[in-house]
Amino acid sequence: MKKEKIRVGDISKNRDEQLLTITGEDMMSLPSPLDKGGFQQLIRPLTEEQRNDYECSLDGVSAIAIPKPKSKEEEDRLVERFLGGLRKLLSQNDNWTFWQQLLLSLESCVRCQTCGEACSIYISSGKQEIYRPTYRAEVLRRIIRKYIKKGGKFFAKVAGDDIDLNWETIARLAELAYRCTICRRCAQWCPLGSDNGLITHELRKLFSQEMGIAPREIHELGTVQQLNVGSSTGITPRALENIISFMEEDIEEKTGKKIMIPFDREGADILLLHNAGEFISWPENIEAFAILFDAANISWTLSSELVGYDAVNYGVWYDDVQLARIAIRHAEVARELKVKRISVGECGHAHKALVVVADRVLSGDLNIPRESVLPLLEDLVCNEKIKLDPKRNDFPVTLHDPCNMVRLMGIVEPQRRIVRKLCPQFREMEPHGVDNYCCGGGSGFAIMSSMNFQDWRESISGRMKLKQILEAFQDVIDPSIHKYVCAPCSNCKGQIRDLLNSHEAWDKYGILYGGLVELIVNAMVDLEKPFIEWEWR
Amino acid sequence: MAKATLGGMEIEIDEDGFIQEPEKWNESVAEDLAKTEDASPMGGDHWKLVNYLRDYYIKFEIAPPIRMLCKKTGFDLKHIYQLFPSGPAKGACKVAGLPKPTGCV
Repeated sequence: MKKEKIRVGDISKNRDEQLLTITGEDMMSLPSPLDKGGFQQLIRPLTEEQRNDYECSLDGVSAIAIPKPKSKEEEDRLVERFLGGLRKLLSQNDNWTFWQQLLLSLESCVRCQTCGEACSIYISSGKQEIYRPTYRAEVLRRIIRKYIKKGGKFFAKVAGDDIDLNWETIARLAELAYRCTICRRCAQWCPLGSDNGLITHELRKLFSQEMGIAPREIHELGTVQQLNVGSSTGITPRALENIISFMEEDIEEKTGKKIMIPFDREGADILLLHNAGEFISWPENIEAFAILFDAANISWTLSSELVGYDAVNYGVWYDDVQLARIAIRHAEVARELKVKRISVGECGHAHKALVVVADRVLSGDLNIPRESVLPLLEDLVCNEKIKLDPKRNDFPVTLHDPCNMVRLMGIVEPQRRIVRKLCPQFREMEPHGVDNYCCGGGSGFAIMSSMNFQDWRESISGRMKLKQILEAFQDVIDPSIHKYVCAPCSNCKGQIRDLLNSHEAWDKYGILYGGLVELIVNAMVDLEKPFIEWEWR
Repeated sequence: MAKATLGGMEIEIDEDGFIQEPEKWNESVAEDLAKTEDASPMGGDHWKLVNYLRDYYIKFEIAPPIRMLCKKTGFDLKHIYQLFPSGPAKGACKVAGLPKPTGCV
């Protein structure tokens, strides 16, 4: 049965019905060996209890657990707060950070729909109308036209515009703000530079700053916990000490070398910021940095100060205030340590937050040079500052491009020169570089796993990346051939892990994943044993 | 927040079933949580893992790194997934009464 096309105004209607139900048959098909009939990853329906408690009438998925209002009065209050927030979003004084970009993006769209063809979520879902990049933007435009502009209601009536600003519209729009990874591929393809990713970001900001609606993983357990406890992972300075000594033992076991992981070294050239998720899930990444920098005699340090040992800044995904608080804290830590510069490790969104966006808030002596670690790694490898042997990496490798480093910042070649030099069986995904597809975990999705959202991000937002990975390894899909997806970003690694894990891709097809620096250390001739351990992590 | 009856007690849980009142955790609470995680009945290896997680959590208020968990219990990740099909974070931590792991993990 063909589905009826969902229109913009439908977002306000039939509040008790789900706007979209998506089945396995709708979704984009996958290449071999996942093309065989029978395989359709399903999005598990919410339980009856969850449906009673949380808003889910957009697509039956709850990303952000919005509690259902208890009364009509509460609904009306929320609608008023939304409108108040929207006015602020459109005011230059209140929204000095992104007002200009927002206005340009709202005004310049000519509805050519080029962006739809660029969006991995829209394509992967089988072109569901509500996931089209312009759908959410158009809803916002019509709300502004009808409820903010003078005489809007009259003109809306004349034009037959049927959008209605009720609670359901707002609840669905809030969920819809979390069906886009802000990868900004749409903005890159737009002939007029309209940025639908930015519109998503501004909506999230309105919901968080004005209505207290944000995913718990990103706000309460993310930025709030980071500012209070020291890290979004909950690692306290005391736990950090324990983990570091474990890692130093681990390095010694693997390499036979006693290498200290340096902390709080005043006056070091580089303060290296790692995503603290690495300490918990991928300590080999942090260990590899320590081994490499020790071998190359780099003057560097980590910080054990609160927030200083966690590069993450989830504020960049949803809240300007939290973003500024964390960025300032990062810069303060660097100032106290009197380092020459901050270098951000393998974490994409931290690149965007600290190296790019923080320019708007860091001034005076807080404006410390901030950069990506990738060019430094390139220098060590390509200018042969350490002895490396590519024969040690003689297995198929493909490279994932984190959107924030590659599309946003244009850091395209350093990581490629490294893998081309060190990995004889390197093959690109198609497309790649600035035309890459998001892993599907961007903008916080990789750490959002509440209720049935993980099903959604594995089957819809990550589908294109899974397809690209399988295609890159088509000629070597035999599980006895060990393969490596190199993803120099913690968030991407988490998403790629979940994608591979749900298809048992390590057991069945021999596909493992990991960071970039691990590949470098794996090629170091000074080490007796290979650094990369071929086991699932 | 919802409540569930675990080990004969009413305990607050989050939307994914992690207990929110860690002080109420005991062995029969764990057994009941294991039922929701396809990890019941719990055998010696389940308890070895759960007890290690709990001891670490009581000392450091956080779950240990996965690599540390594997090394100290002697279990590889595959075995942990066999014991707790949703894995160390969503499965084992839940049964051990730890909060849901957070951050980019």
